[in-house]
Amino acid sequence: MNEHRRQILQMLSEGKINADEAERLIAAVEQPTSSFSSADSGSSATSKPRPKYLRVVVDSEDDGGHEGPTKVNVRVPMQLLRAGVRLAGLIPAPALHRANDAMHAKGVPIDLTQIKPENLEELVEQLNDLTVDVDQKDQYAKVKVRVFCE
Amino acid sequence: MIPFVAVVSLRDQKSRTFRLWIPLFLIWLLLLPLAILLSPFVFIGCLFCRVNPFSGVAVMWQILNALTDTNIEVEHRSAGVSFHIL
Repeated sequence: MNEHRRQILQMLSEGKINADEAERLIAAVEQPTSSFSSADSGSSATSKPRPKYLRVVVDSEDDGGHEGPTKVNVRVPMQLLRAGVRLAGLIPAPALHRANDAMHAKGVPIDLTQIKPENLEELVEQLNDLTVDVDQKDQYAKVKVRVFCE
Repeated sequence: MIPFVAVVSLRDQKSRTFRLWIPLFLIWLLLLPLAILLSPFVFIGCLFCRVNPFSGVAVMWQILNALTDTNIEVEHRSAGVSFHIL
């Protein structure tokens, strides 16, 4: 794009076009760029496509030789997660308090009453960047778990 | 769109695959009169639990819609199971 501007300025300096024509040409050259950049800045999601699925892939290689390898492949639509989050938003407060008590008893200090549906929606959106890789190798088997969005 | 068909594939030790197509739309058609009959009770139950019944129905409908394209596959040396909602 700078090259176009340079050419226009060159033409202006050589006297092939006057200042008004140069201004119009520069405006015409810059117009698609500015519209593209404004559209791009309007939503950051355009740079990165929104994930459609949450994938959980489990590969288990049996080293003992008895069970054989096992593969689990789960693909859950993100829409289902969103709907589940909305369903969680409908849970009445007494049930949330009971769940809080149960989780505190297990040593999980999360207050579910503080989690609002809008926060959960944001959480689902942020799953786009989530990748969980777990490799476990023990005496009998090697297990590889991958959780990611696509 | 709500799912219309579920496909269950079973593979046995001899690599024979049985594929079962379950017409979910028939199940929805059968469940629709039941849902209409039960709706007053669901409404009362929601009010009893202090849940907005309309929100509850909307969320359940969203979950039903979102089930489309769910895919679960479990493969083992001796057998395999695949469940796909279309």
